[in-house]
Amino acid sequence: MVTTKGSFAVEDMKNVQINIGAVVKEEEEWDQPMGPYPKPNVATLRDWDFKLANRYKIFYAPADDTCTLCTYGPCDLTGNKKGACGLDMAGYCGKIVLIACLMGCCAHAAHGRHLYHWCLDRFGDMKFDMGDEILVDSPLYQTIMGTKPKTLKEFGDGLSYVEEQVVQLMAATHTGQEGYYGDFESKALHAGMLDLLGMEICDMLQIVAYDMPRGAADAPLIEIGMGTLDQNKGVLIAYGHNLAAGAEAMIYAEANNLWDKVDIGGVCCTAHDLNRIGLAAGNPSIPKNIGMKPKVAGAMGWWRKMVRSGVMDCVMVDEQCVFCDVLEDTQKRKIPLIATTDKIMLGLPDRTNDPVDQIVDDLVNFKMPGVAVLDPKKAGEVGIRTAIAVKPKRSEAKAQNLITDTQFKEYLEKCTGCNQCVFVCPPHTNIGDLIQEAVKGNLEPFSALYETCVGCARCEEVCPQGIPIMDLYEYANRDYIKGQKFKMRSGRGPARDTEIRAVGAPIVLGTIPGVIALVGCSNYPKGTKEAYDMAKEFADRGYIVVTSGCMAMDMSLYTNEEGKTIWEQFGGAFDGRNVCNVGSCVANANIADAAIKVATIFAHRNHRANFDDIADYILSKVGACGVAWGPYSQKAASIATGCNRLGIPVVVSPHSVMYRRSFMGRMDKPEDWMVIDARDGKMQQIEPAPEAMLYIAETKEEAMLEMAKLCLRPSDNSMGRSIKLNHYCDISIKYCGKLPDDWHIFVRDAKDLPITYKDKMMKELEEKHGWKIDWKNKKITEGPLRPADVSFDPTNIPRKIRAKK
Amino acid sequence: MAGEVKKGIDTTKNAIPFEMAQIPGPEMAKTYMPKVIGAIIKKAKRPLLVVGAELFDDPVMFDKIIEIGKTGIPIAATAHSVKGFVDRGYLDNVYQIGLHPLTAHLRFDDWIGLDGKGNYDAVIFMGIFYKFANAMFSTLKHFNRNIKRVSIDRYYHVNADMTFGNMAFIPDDYHAAVDEVIEALKK
Ligand code: SF4
Ligand code: SF4
Ligand code: SF4
Repeated sequence: MVTTKGSFAVEDMKNVQINIGAVVKEEEEWDQPMGPYPKPNVATLRDWDFKLANRYKIFYAPADDTCTLCTYGPCDLTGNKKGACGLDMAGYCGKIVLIACLMGCCAHAAHGRHLYHWCLDRFGDMKFDMGDEILVDSPLYQTIMGTKPKTLKEFGDGLSYVEEQVVQLMAATHTGQEGYYGDFESKALHAGMLDLLGMEICDMLQIVAYDMPRGAADAPLIEIGMGTLDQNKGVLIAYGHNLAAGAEAMIYAEANNLWDKVDIGGVCCTAHDLNRIGLAAGNPSIPKNIGMKPKVAGAMGWWRKMVRSGVMDCVMVDEQCVFCDVLEDTQKRKIPLIATTDKIMLGLPDRTNDPVDQIVDDLVNFKMPGVAVLDPKKAGEVGIRTAIAVKPKRSEAKAQNLITDTQFKEYLEKCTGCNQCVFVCPPHTNIGDLIQEAVKGNLEPFSALYETCVGCARCEEVCPQGIPIMDLYEYANRDYIKGQKFKMRSGRGPARDTEIRAVGAPIVLGTIPGVIALVGCSNYPKGTKEAYDMAKEFADRGYIVVTSGCMAMDMSLYTNEEGKTIWEQFGGAFDGRNVCNVGSCVANANIADAAIKVATIFAHRNHRANFDDIADYILSKVGACGVAWGPYSQKAASIATGCNRLGIPVVVSPHSVMYRRSFMGRMDKPEDWMVIDARDGKMQQIEPAPEAMLYIAETKEEAMLEMAKLCLRPSDNSMGRSIKLNHYCDISIKYCGKLPDDWHIFVRDAKDLPITYKDKMMKELEEKHGWKIDWKNKKITEGPLRPADVSFDPTNIPRKIRAKK
Repeated sequence: MAGEVKKGIDTTKNAIPFEMAQIPGPEMAKTYMPKVIGAIIKKAKRPLLVVGAELFDDPVMFDKIIEIGKTGIPIAATAHSVKGFVDRGYLDNVYQIGLHPLTAHLRFDDWIGLDGKGNYDAVIFMGIFYKFANAMFSTLKHFNRNIKRVSIDRYYHVNADMTFGNMAFIPDDYHAAVDEVIEALKK
């Protein structure tokens, strides 16, 4: 805005008036006044970030000792030395973390930008309507932007805001700009928050435009698994994260009655989103319940296993988690490939403006291995027609690409047992041993470890004998692949306001022991079954289990003794003892949204432009814990970082050390655990809860123990605390054989003690920890860090103090 | 068997990171013979043995660790490895703590330690998922150089100060090498 000594240019003045008008109008429709931080800039929430970082010390595990980011390099930063530019190792790690979070944030925001233009072009502007049961309909947007979008078009403001901030953050990573690691992390937290917003925008756009469920606890069960793809039809795979082209393929198949000739299978998050389409009843351009028709082929970790299994005839890739050698894999097997967004074009010719007949003809006759078609509608038609027409033509290629009994034996014989493959295998599978067993005729180990293999193909890259190790897996698992048929509950979208009202008090008081969010990708340390095991453990214990993305798909591949999948064992509500699938990766925003909604719907906190206040509430009172047990992507890094800024701790797998940064509290520093009692402004010592913001666990067992612990909150009442401690202790007994060493730190009163362990614990408190016990009245008279106090109102933000001076 | 060779097991060969691409930079671990490593651990004033869940894959290692524990070296049982000690009825100087929070604390010289008596001057890792142990060694390598980083795991640990070479595929030799470390500690 051009100003000269306080006078506005006329044009600007008009804008000002319009803005004021909009704000006044919105004020009338919204009972919340504008909060302090609408559209926070890079440094606006820095105080909050530093509060977090002071308690949860920034922890770096550098993945390399040198920096090569500019021409001065390589600089040796070993031992936190400085490089030529003055950046030390901590600063360098902070810079890399920020760049990673920006990659993640940009992936979602760009996805959102694409969907935004596409949805407006395809369907025109639409009312943003989440239905009667979701009135707090875009919690992150409202908390960050301070406004409520009323139409899809209005989400454009949010996208522009994210884009502007991202440019500012990226600029700070140039050599000679930011130098302090703490500020890099504040910026990374900002990027993480922007990512949550970008994801929410994506999901809100697609929920409305594609008529997806709006908080349907009873979202339908759909088919998942390689075995569900009908081999009598042409099989089209839609692989990636952006539903646009896949949706058009579905609509084309529907409009032309082609479902008896074609099967569509989604891979990675596109699968989730295709299966959500048309399950509500709103947009007349979307055929009702069309989302029931495609199958979920599987999570991204299964991609290479799928392509080798011969179950597909044509592939459409859109964006994000697509293996870079997808074209090599498809070309080798004569599977035509269609690239449908400009993010992934793979060197393919851009045929967007060519007639469909010509493109299909070229693909079906293998004149080219693939094409780029950047118009989703055209890409969808090309995909369906190609899949159907190419199927008979590629039967020979399909057969040739499945190894025969003889080939299998020949490959086994080629193995020299050099173990090169083991050196690069992420889960350290001893492939040489599997081969030795197979030589003896025992394929069991190859089967048993199929789910453990993350499908990275690094073993094949290094094998000096050129053994196609993943093909050996495929050969040994043919029956399993055919029979891989399970059910998954379709993505339900947000938590309904009524659900939040019902669970708000139990969550804050602790009588629902916590919200466990199992999210992220398929790079598991020990196989996909761990996703199922974690979900089951916590749902059985009465936690609210929410899930999304690849983890939701992977947990679907197992059943209990009665043959029931996790979805058939538990309901899909946002409630204790339920497992709810919110949807794809971008639907993760709904999980953060649920936490915000506890603060705003249950506790009546104003969330409008009030990010730190809401985050403070969640940190102190909402016992939620995110878990990314197979995260591989930078998106996972930014999502976790965004959750951390919102006060939600996250547990990650041992592979996540590659993210380099985590946040860990110091249990031995009582001064780090002082909070304000908002009732009177006095400082109060609290127990270290939650003890960490980003915790790396080595095993599933450790992760589960930590998940239970990270649900502890200072606001728990005695019943809630005893329930939470009970699960924490129980899990420790179950997997570690003993009570954890630190349970006593969380005891404020005898009433906090879980009934099952009460007597044993009282004794231990007296004998081991020197606490004073009044045995007659079964009371603790001395020892705890603080007394239990139901009306204690912990906060980290001075402006929340209520006492009038 | 290799374990019976009189001169002792040569643990200095195969200095190749178990995950091959883990090449951090100019400072890479040196491999040492078990006796030397044993002597260095013995010399430490506040050593801490840090063990992980891979011990379950080779349970005999629990017994060897308990032998080390009996020489007075405290044990941090990370992940859920404490179960192995519970099952063997040995919990004397065993602490249950995750490797991540443990390393987070080890960074600070003023940490009170697992026994309240202060930080450690040497950590000895074994039985931990390679990538995780490697990263936690990296943290200490860069941010607390007062602690000696020792590995007696079956891997060449590139971010340690002292390590064996890769022995992942010669379990008998590895067991014998750990026995030699124990012998040296008992001397
Ligand atoms: S950015 Fe700094 S530390 Fe990195 S190579 Fe350049 S001068 Fe060295
Ligand atoms: S493809 Fe599977 S077996 Fe091969 S290195 Fe990767 S995880 Fe290991
Ligand atoms: S790298 Fe190849 S030859 Fe060597 S053990 Fe592995 S499969 Fe066998």
